[in-house]
Amino acid sequence: MTIASIQTDRAASAKKERSGDHLRIISNQTPRQDDHKDMMGGEDDNARFANVVLPHLGDAYALARWITGNRADAEDVVQDACLRAFRAIRSFANGSARAWVLTIVRNTAYTWISKNRPAALVVVDDLEAVETAQAIPGDPNAATSETALIAQADAARLTAAISALPIPFRETLILRDVQGLDYREIAEVTGVPIGTVMSRLARGRSRLIATIGSKEP
Amino acid sequence: MTHSMISEDPRLLVHAYFDGELDPANALAVEKRMAADPALAAEAERVEALQRLLRERLPREAPPLGLRGRIEASVAMRRPRAQPSWRALAASIAVTAMLASGSTWVALAPERADTAGNGVVAAHIRSLMAPQPIDVASSDRHTIKPWFNGRIPEAPRVIDLANEDFPLVGGRLDVIGQTPVPTLVYRYRQHLISLMAVPASYRANSAPALRTVGGYNMLRWTDEGVFYWAISDIGTADLDKFVQLFRTSSPDQ
Repeated sequence: MTIASIQTDRAASAKKERSGDHLRIISNQTPRQDDHKDMMGGEDDNARFANVVLPHLGDAYALARWITGNRADAEDVVQDACLRAFRAIRSFANGSARAWVLTIVRNTAYTWISKNRPAALVVVDDLEAVETAQAIPGDPNAATSETALIAQADAARLTAAISALPIPFRETLILRDVQGLDYREIAEVTGVPIGTVMSRLARGRSRLIATIGSKEP
Repeated sequence: MTHSMISEDPRLLVHAYFDGELDPANALAVEKRMAADPALAAEAERVEALQRLLRERLPREAPPLGLRGRIEASVAMRRPRAQPSWRALAASIAVTAMLASGSTWVALAPERADTAGNGVVAAHIRSLMAPQPIDVASSDRHTIKPWFNGRIPEAPRVIDLANEDFPLVGGRLDVIGQTPVPTLVYRYRQHLISLMAVPASYRANSAPALRTVGGYNMLRWTDEGVFYWAISDIGTADLDKFVQLFRTSSPDQ
């Protein structure tokens, strides 16, 4: 099944659920009954939210933490994203719940950053153009000492190096190397073609390797 | 920028190799290139070292205590909208990102980069259409292993899971790209599972990752320097169970 057909399925099922709502409203005329029905519906939605969203809270928080760069903002983003997810819970039909949740978290984090720290949103287009031109493989003779330095890097140095990556490289690297998503899922979450996922991943890793594989602390 | 971009930059394929995104034929082709090209071998060494570092040394931070409770509390007070908002949101951001990236990668068809699986799926479908889905019919690994040994350099690990409802029914050789690939065939109720195993020269293990191609579920992973692809039309939970059993059982059981 392709991504497109999954989305079609989701859309179809969302439509079905909407027409179900319609019928329910017609058959429950008095306000009192409406309230009761809404409460029942609310319970279903809460159960669905608990099944679809809550299992991925750890990944959601980790992604928000890496994108925003600090705990307090990550918490705000995850809370906001969870509310968005809850409001849209009826539209989630099938596919990967984790990718769906991470998509919402990622978009919420971007909205948050564009409001609070617009300067952080570097246009990677320029970065990618420059680095494509310089896509020369490293010196093979330097590789052995570089690999040894990489192996010695400690957690603090690694964390600092990842935090210094431009956001698009950082989120791609985190989704793949920390959260274990495959290219297709990352393309879905970040809304770019798979080719872009591949180039961002390679460039993000190259930058990390250059930083932690060099002698300067 | 055209489709040839990816094939012209073999470094991207090295990364895809370590990410388990290549099908057997492409994985072997990349291995050959890495063996022949010191610069690519150096890139491979760096990528592998970095992935190991990220896996072993990057701190994983748990969500703060109480976050879950706060979320449950705030959600309990609200009702979902009938109109889904996330898809419109995701679509608008996707469009912005595509526009912002200009011509750089938009022209790339996902199929070109997304090489994994197509050959594996084709081999599985072909086998289902053939009069016999297997070349050697046996539930005995002492029959199947020698059969492979006579035909390819290295026979795969053969395990019978009959006690776990996944009886081994036989083996066959598939050709993916130009590479002969040993395939074990298991049965689950009325369904067949093809399990392909290709030796890799890099020994980094990777956990099973799910993909759905043409209605078939496929799990791929790496164990002890062997790429595995399990493909079937059974549900993901059953396929998961099969893969877990295969990975944890020893041949001598």
